[in-house]
Amino acid sequence: MVKATIVESVMGAFGFGEDNILVEKMFFPKDAVETAERLKKIEDGTLIDEISGLIDNLKKKGYTQFVFENQKMAITANKKLNIEVSVEPSSEAGNLFRENLVTIALDSGFVEKPEQLRAHLHKVSMELAKIKVKKVVEKRDMLVAQAVLSVDDLDKSLNLFMGRIREWYGLHFPELDRLLEKHETYSRLVVKLGRKENFTIEKLEQEGLPQNKSKMIAEVAAASMGADIIEDDLAQIQYMCSHVLELYSLRQNLENYVEAVMDEVAPNTKAVAGSLLGGRLIALAGGLMNLAKLPASTMQILGAEKALFRSLKTKARPPKHGIIFQHPLIHDGKRWQRGKIARALAGKITIAARVDAFKGEYAADDLKADLEKRVQEITERYPNPPPTPAPTKREFKGKQKNRRQNRRNKRGPKR
Amino acid sequence: MNVDLNVKPHPAFEEIFWVTLEDGSRKLGTKNFSPGNSVYGERLIKFEGTEYRLWEPFRSKLAAAILKGLKTVPVCLDQKVLYLGAASGTTPSHISDIVGENGHVYCVEFASRSLRELVNNVVAFRYNMSPILADARLPESYSRMVEQVSTIYCDVAQPEQAKLLADNADMFLAEGGWVMLAIKAQSIDVTKDPAEVIRKETAILESRGFNIKQVVGLEPFDKAHAMVVAQK
Repeated sequence: MVKATIVESVMGAFGFGEDNILVEKMFFPKDAVETAERLKKIEDGTLIDEISGLIDNLKKKGYTQFVFENQKMAITANKKLNIEVSVEPSSEAGNLFRENLVTIALDSGFVEKPEQLRAHLHKVSMELAKIKVKKVVEKRDMLVAQAVLSVDDLDKSLNLFMGRIREWYGLHFPELDRLLEKHETYSRLVVKLGRKENFTIEKLEQEGLPQNKSKMIAEVAAASMGADIIEDDLAQIQYMCSHVLELYSLRQNLENYVEAVMDEVAPNTKAVAGSLLGGRLIALAGGLMNLAKLPASTMQILGAEKALFRSLKTKARPPKHGIIFQHPLIHDGKRWQRGKIARALAGKITIAARVDAFKGEYAADDLKADLEKRVQEITERYPNPPPTPAPTKREFKGKQKNRRQNRRNKRGPKR
Repeated sequence: MNVDLNVKPHPAFEEIFWVTLEDGSRKLGTKNFSPGNSVYGERLIKFEGTEYRLWEPFRSKLAAAILKGLKTVPVCLDQKVLYLGAASGTTPSHISDIVGENGHVYCVEFASRSLRELVNNVVAFRYNMSPILADARLPESYSRMVEQVSTIYCDVAQPEQAKLLADNADMFLAEGGWVMLAIKAQSIDVTKDPAEVIRKETAILESRGFNIKQVVGLEPFDKAHAMVVAQK
């Protein structure tokens, strides 16, 4: 039984005998890109010619047992070449090799000067890093994540702009603010109708508003206490409104895009969580693979890190739900049932994400059915709110208002 | 107060400099390995034909540790350094300045986003650095890219910092080599007292055969952080 240790490096593959003496070597081509590609393959556990060649040569010399530093490589070599292998992460030969890297490079004639090895190392590592970064980004999950975050940014900006527009146009027609909740309709009417004198029943109905609403708005418009406005001033407001409308169509566009890509990247997560929420979860976790590796309990409070760490530090009550609060099952649920629903939902999203990341088939119908059953159970078993405990001093009272504000922002835009 | 710009070598540490600015304030600095390029927006100073980069202690824990009275800085000219948790290259770039053209800095970083910045903004201009996209918890996954080093600098936000550092040392550190461990107590356990976390991590290093030389707290530059220097 003669043992040889295989050590790979940027130069090539090296075989060391029993007493850690170099017995066999196979150089990679001196091209940095080709070397990086080979190293990537080794890392993934793919057998490359240089290594199988090296092992063949060692076999001819009578070596029968092979030590690898990398488990993946050992497994492949064992399967493909039918040889006896073992794994030693920091083998003596490997440590010796790394200690004398420069000397070995010079002695074996790979380079003539130490600087050349330095330069080669630098180039190869750059290429390898590029290949790997590319690989990570190639999956479309990060694209969805960015798109979803863009939707969130747009929502924030739209709320900001619409607040301004309502204030601005409100100088002319202040009553409209209360009558039209939906931002998009508001700005569309300002663009299409302009002055409040134009807000007549017929025109409003033409714009698709229901009859009673049109009637109400028209009546208020006729009796409005807003100031008159000259054409120039109105034009600026309308100009701003038309751009906001464009942002709304951009938002719609992004939403459709997220929908489509989520179908490809994470169909199960999309089915259970919804495409926007699913995308947000991917963004928060930093990728589908990361999301799939999270425990359900983390999924449940993803996005509520601040509250979680506060509870860990001060023993305040932990958050029941993070961003998954946006799921209709939770935010339309009864207050005292939400925690339980959040737990069930987080569990199902976790399974869905894992199927998406590792298996790829569609299994969401079962997940959804199970979830619905569980939610049904929760609503039946806990129909009434629990008795309120005796009032205790609440912590963080001063921040109460702020917290509510934060939660409101998270819920998404007012429609 | 108006003083002339002035650069003097640090009395204790090779290749680290004291830069006296026009307003009389004194800052740390290193010789710029790639003149003309600033890595993270730090000021570049020209003095007697050499370009220096100011070393910002609020951005780099090593600079903070030096200002807080580190007795040994186990990074010097011509050395090979393994840097775990290189992020976008703030501290590694200064180490690259210090080790110079015959030294080498192996930068391991797990996040592809940070590594992208590292490759494009830093390593591309510094041929004594190698970027490695890998998980520092698995040293065997990048053993091909790294040779034996005399110092390992570890600044990862991982709960198992000390263990991970010791694993890497088994594989890459030379006999009698040094390690530096930047401990971020908050990312190991938020619920525990930082001092206790730091004690625990140093105990792990000791049990793995390291000789703890010094522990410095990094207040006010970083909250609940400490720098541990140890020798194998």
